[in-house]
Amino acid sequence: MRTQLLIIFSLFFVLSLLTTPWAGIARAGLVTDGAGRQVMVPADPRRVITFAPNLAEIVYLLGEEQRLAGTTTFSDYPPAARELPRVGSYVRPDLEKIVALRPDLCLASQDGNPRHVVDRLAAMGIAVYVVNPQSLSGIMTAVKQIGTLLHADKRAAELVAAMRQRIEAVARQVAARSDRPLVFFQIDEAPMISAGTNTFIHELITLAGGRNAAAGPVAYPRYDWEKILALDPEIVIISSMAGGRTKEELLAGWRRWPQLAAVRNNRLHVVDADLFDRATPRLVDGLEHLAGIIQSGQESAGAQ
Amino acid sequence: MHNSFFSLTTRLLALCGLLLLIMALCGLLALAWGSSSGISLAKISETLQTLFCAKARDSVAAAIVWQVRLPRVVLAAVVGATLALGGLVFQALLRNPLAEPYILGVSGGSAIGAIIGILLGLSPFPGVTATAFVGSMTVLVLVLLLAAGVSARSAVSRDTLLLGGVMMNAFCGAVIMFLISVSQTAQVHHILFWLMGDFSVFSVEQLPVLLAVLPCFLIIFLMARPLNLLLLGRETAASLGTEVKRVSVLLLATTTLMVSIVVSQSGLVGFVGLVIPHIFRTLLGPDHRLLIPASILGGGSYMILCDLLARTLPAGGEMPVGIVTALVGAPLFIYLLWRSRR
Repeated sequence: MRTQLLIIFSLFFVLSLLTTPWAGIARAGLVTDGAGRQVMVPADPRRVITFAPNLAEIVYLLGEEQRLAGTTTFSDYPPAARELPRVGSYVRPDLEKIVALRPDLCLASQDGNPRHVVDRLAAMGIAVYVVNPQSLSGIMTAVKQIGTLLHADKRAAELVAAMRQRIEAVARQVAARSDRPLVFFQIDEAPMISAGTNTFIHELITLAGGRNAAAGPVAYPRYDWEKILALDPEIVIISSMAGGRTKEELLAGWRRWPQLAAVRNNRLHVVDADLFDRATPRLVDGLEHLAGIIQSGQESAGAQ
Repeated sequence: MHNSFFSLTTRLLALCGLLLLIMALCGLLALAWGSSSGISLAKISETLQTLFCAKARDSVAAAIVWQVRLPRVVLAAVVGATLALGGLVFQALLRNPLAEPYILGVSGGSAIGAIIGILLGLSPFPGVTATAFVGSMTVLVLVLLLAAGVSARSAVSRDTLLLGGVMMNAFCGAVIMFLISVSQTAQVHHILFWLMGDFSVFSVEQLPVLLAVLPCFLIIFLMARPLNLLLLGRETAASLGTEVKRVSVLLLATTTLMVSIVVSQSGLVGFVGLVIPHIFRTLLGPDHRLLIPASILGGGSYMILCDLLARTLPAGGEMPVGIVTALVGAPLFIYLLWRSRR
């Protein structure tokens, strides 16, 4: 009797080991995604559709691009992503094109993708995993989540570790200095738009050792020249996508105001927009670039 | 126009039969063609099989036909029918050939309601639909109160109604521009697509609400005779036994209700209510007993085709259907106008 009980208990013990997370994540099952939804994900997704450019980028970074079956327009990094079939834009994904590609897993972004498309696909039995990266640590979580879904846990861990290392390096640089210059980040022109507190840009400016002039509750507040003159930022960063203008036009717009400290000291910089608004590990490139600008003191305008 | 050889019933049945056939063909084309594949005879036969065979050949194709395209085709048919019928009724009621279903403020009111719903982050259904409906009914009530306050005799004096409606729409337009100016970029996208008419948001669970317009079609059809008489003028109609006030109020209420229901789900789709009644009036004459079913079925078919174009024409992704109806409807109207002057 006791031997039988012992055998039964051992069997239970072995079975419970087999069902613990580290042995079982790779198989199909019900998981909770970044938006708190319950999703039944396939064990080995082979036809993945991404609903945003940053998600496609993350899949390529994880080295799992062979699983991709389609993506939205504007997925242009890396350049190979341009060859993927398109399923509409990320604000208007085309339901029919998505269903026609027979995906076994869709990756969506809570910020931007319309909720009703996700709900319609889920109602049709297509697995949609929503990620919600709101900060650098959110991006690291999303990379790990996607890595788990696509059997790229090791690569995901490497990416996250590399990101952490570089962020910490910047933090050490910043800690060594005492000044925190006022930085104004221009996203768009006519109307002039900057980034408030709940944005990646704010986080990058703060980590890079600056103070965001547009910090506040509105995510993308509008500014006019009067407000900017009153703020008088020390450094001005201009996104290359602002209003579709050329670099010279953007800089010329600011140089009309020699009263501004940033103009007098020639601290106007145009930066690559993609390094600052896409929720991917490339944001760390943006962070390093920004840190370089802020901490370099006097630097000539137009650093790319 | 008065054809004594065939009775009205015969003509009505023939007309309905023909238009139903056309609508069925348009529906079939719209179910067989979409943004994921082109059109061919093989596709059409495949779609017929998917529709009528119990076990579908290919589950993905079946999902596309039944769950992606069919709701849209149904929505397009009902929206087109409602707007065309609404335009027909208003043109008769207000005795104005430029009347269209939005003329009494439905467009302005529902747009403000929808924008507020979008800005509050509500889901498309029931959230934004509900706010759009409330918005449109509110503005309509205001227009009616205004007309009632101005005209001592009857709340449905048509000049006051028209002017009040046009002014309310203009005021609402200003409010809409203000709301857009304070919106964040992502919301502006949603707002613009709603304002241009967007069928892509509709899902099957909204169907019961949409089908509430069907009884309205019947009510209006039963009032076809009084509508004919109203065209002769209030006094003439009254002297021929029509209870002008009662009929007008009932028609107004029914039409504005059904247009509000439809607009709150589909956004603002223009030119259907203006152009379709004129086309059928040119073809069939002014008898509303024929024009009402013609507008319903013809408007539905027209809308199905416009939605098909909106889905398949652009390579980069579908465009809002309101753009297609405007691009097609406006030249069509100009052509009708030019022809009528000869």
